[in-house]
Amino acid sequence: MPAKLLRCRVVPALFLLCIFPIAAMAGSTPSYVVTNDDSPGFFPVSATFYGVGSTGLLTLDKFVTLTGSGIAGGYFNANRVVALNSSNNQCIFASAAANGEITGISVSTLEIGGSATGSSSDTGLSNGVGLAVNNQYLYAGYTDSSNIGTFQVQSGCSLTFISDVATTGLQGGFISGMKIHGNMMVVTYGDGSIESFNIANGPPVPNGDQQNSTAYNTSQGASYPNGVDITQDGHFAIFGDTATSNSIEVSDISSGKLAATVAYNVGAQINSSNIMLSPDETLLYIANTQGDALTAAFFNATTGALTPGCTSNNLKAYGTAWSYLAGIATETNTGTGGMIYAAEFGLKSSIAMIQVASANGKCTLTESTKSPVFDPDSQGLLSITSFPPRSF
Amino acid sequence: MRAAYKLVLTLLFCGFSFSAAWGQCPARPASGTVVQDALSLYSQNGVLNAGLNLGYSVDQYGYTHYCYRYQSSNGVVESPTLRVNPGDKLMLNVTDSIPTNSPDGRNGMHMHAAAPAGTTCGDGGTATLQSTNVHFHGLNVPPTCHQDDVLTTLIQPGDGPFQYSIQIPTTEPPGLYWYHPHVHGFTEFQVNGGAAGALVVEGMDKVRPEVSGLPERVFVIRQQYLVPWVPGPYQLTINYQTTTAPGNPLTPIIQMKPGQKEFWRVANATLQDFMPVQVLVNGAPEQLELVALDGYPLSATRMENTILIPPAGRAEFIVTAPASGGSGTFQTLAYNTGLTGNADILQAFATIQLVDDNSAAKAPVNPIAPGPKMSLDGIKFAGLKNAAPTASRSLFFSEEFGGTNGPIQFYVTVDGQKQVVFNPNEAPAITTKVGAVEDWTIENRALETHAFHIHQIHFMMLEVDGKAVPNDMRDTIEIPYWTGSGPYHSVKVRMDFTDPTIAGTFVFHCHILLHEDLGMMHKILVQP
Repeated sequence: MPAKLLRCRVVPALFLLCIFPIAAMAGSTPSYVVTNDDSPGFFPVSATFYGVGSTGLLTLDKFVTLTGSGIAGGYFNANRVVALNSSNNQCIFASAAANGEITGISVSTLEIGGSATGSSSDTGLSNGVGLAVNNQYLYAGYTDSSNIGTFQVQSGCSLTFISDVATTGLQGGFISGMKIHGNMMVVTYGDGSIESFNIANGPPVPNGDQQNSTAYNTSQGASYPNGVDITQDGHFAIFGDTATSNSIEVSDISSGKLAATVAYNVGAQINSSNIMLSPDETLLYIANTQGDALTAAFFNATTGALTPGCTSNNLKAYGTAWSYLAGIATETNTGTGGMIYAAEFGLKSSIAMIQVASANGKCTLTESTKSPVFDPDSQGLLSITSFPPRSF
Repeated sequence: MRAAYKLVLTLLFCGFSFSAAWGQCPARPASGTVVQDALSLYSQNGVLNAGLNLGYSVDQYGYTHYCYRYQSSNGVVESPTLRVNPGDKLMLNVTDSIPTNSPDGRNGMHMHAAAPAGTTCGDGGTATLQSTNVHFHGLNVPPTCHQDDVLTTLIQPGDGPFQYSIQIPTTEPPGLYWYHPHVHGFTEFQVNGGAAGALVVEGMDKVRPEVSGLPERVFVIRQQYLVPWVPGPYQLTINYQTTTAPGNPLTPIIQMKPGQKEFWRVANATLQDFMPVQVLVNGAPEQLELVALDGYPLSATRMENTILIPPAGRAEFIVTAPASGGSGTFQTLAYNTGLTGNADILQAFATIQLVDDNSAAKAPVNPIAPGPKMSLDGIKFAGLKNAAPTASRSLFFSEEFGGTNGPIQFYVTVDGQKQVVFNPNEAPAITTKVGAVEDWTIENRALETHAFHIHQIHFMMLEVDGKAVPNDMRDTIEIPYWTGSGPYHSVKVRMDFTDPTIAGTFVFHCHILLHEDLGMMHKILVQP
């Protein structure tokens, strides 16, 4: 059999062998978009699960009542809800700002698996509790103490507190954005400084690369890194800046440490605190916190360069209910992510649904006619995630 | 028992002494009463000499009052109207009696050091909530110590009188100005409490004969928040009387003779309220004859039924009272300051009550003495329209939020420079020279409306959003919010730095006072 023909037969067979079990597994994995309502204790305190329809539209599925209490506000980029999809644990973790409690919810049952708190000072009453998770550990950034708490993820989505690491920015800032990739955690402090940690053994150990960002130091914008994402190959850390425009910074982290950031301005909209790479890494989604629009910038995963892309119109809730735009999630984990979801903080908190089209170096972002979906339990929605989560 | 009696006496004595040392604010007029003009102080032989003492108290509703106390022959009154003529000298002795242990728990609150290093005027200490100084808003006078300087002048509680000695230019435009504290970081607190008063440069009737012989009223609209930096319910007051607002059904009363024309001078001394003012007659907005804006007479009066007065702005107009049997209301409409701006709500300032001349309750009015006419060509900035600009600049307002609870940064930036908040020790953001005439385009890139103000000079309006507008002279102008898409709103104005007496360093800023206190301000240096 000619080699070419052999390849033609073997490769599809291998493909089917490899892909079928994954597809079969995927078929049994529910898909959700989850909000952490983080509401003050006198309101219902819950994580809200939405089913994702075939066209990406959301249907409210279940409120999972949490025992903690929140604040309905705070830093835009502190991810108060994260998803874990490991071989033995499929969980949603949600933090409660006021008492610092973190609750694990089993995705298969939508029941609480357990909850935990850090040390007595570990709360986020001022600005929330941000989370980042891998298969073994969950990390909590407490905006009151600026501690990073480390928790062991147990089976059944419960947590065991291990220890705190005290952090502070170069200008005295508090822990703000967090993102992990492999053994590396990259954080922002909301004061212009950034830092990475080694988390190979669980609790974060500083990598000795704390520095002020380039935009903070030199740009004409009043920019400071806030949200952070990391490429699939761990080559680049991308920072969404709190700024008066779309100010994004990229650091080469292939050495295991943060290199000086390269600053990009990819649009005139206001603020870029919340960012997320599309699953195929061709687009960087940017929530324009004020003005309530979503921007997409083209990302070159090889060079780390960003170029301007497109911006949606002001989202509908902006006109009817005063709102900020914050956390971002995607419908799928392939391509540009399907429908894009964005948390809208406002008089009636809601989830905006935005369709993306990208081809030949051009893109459009169009809010769905069915958007927004109101998040009834939320008094100030800022954080959102999807399950299964993006793989990186 | 005796010991207890002694203790009570001691406490009473101490309390009295403490209160007296504070310089408590006079009682303010009850709601629903006739609105009274403030006491007017007139210059004599070319000099207005007065003493003002900054006082402090808290009312029964918890509102913090700050006040300019003036010792009149009839006791202490609040914020007199200072009346001067062009060419007069204003001699104002200011003392500060705010308690150093203020009962609102803010003692020792420090923000930025107000005085730039190396240069002080008055007290050289650190600026605190108890420190003060005075800005003569709109006056075209030098930015120097003992005149209209807010960068280096500091007056502390217990200091001896600080004397302002201001030579009013002979060409000063006749009109309504105002005075208020301007210590960076703390302006809002003292203005919120009511420390603001009117200043009139006489002679309007000489350049705008339409007002000759008309009864004149001066209305100062102030604003009170329970906590000025927390959005929430606020009160507007008219000459210190609380206007109609939620929880206060009593409306202040303005008494007028039926059909009478009056000359009203209205100062917006609020912290942040943009006021589209109207006079409703029988329920419909009256056509008001607008005479002057920001203390500068219009080249010709014009009829408007709604006059937008931004925070710190002034409007002077002729009102005709309803005919006998009619009704009238003086009010501000609601104003949309943008989705991240403040909610400026509709409020009735006062109800117009028609009375005859013989009514005992009729409010006192001050007829203007007719005098020889003057041409507008004789006052400052005449001819500016035809001046050739020597430079053009672009500036913009912007804001940045790190979260719903902050941190929030407020910037006003010269295009091309880094966006930074004001620092008292900063170098001037703009340097120019005496003789310059500059056209500035100021954009608003924020999602809330801002109010641009520059000290020491008036500026000429040229364009709004790129379209020509009447060449009114202003010292404060609103720039509407950006909607989040499309072009930014902008104004183009002409700045006149030709007067050598304004050489020095002064500031431009947003006159939403929270924004100013948080750094939406920068310096300009006019070199001699």
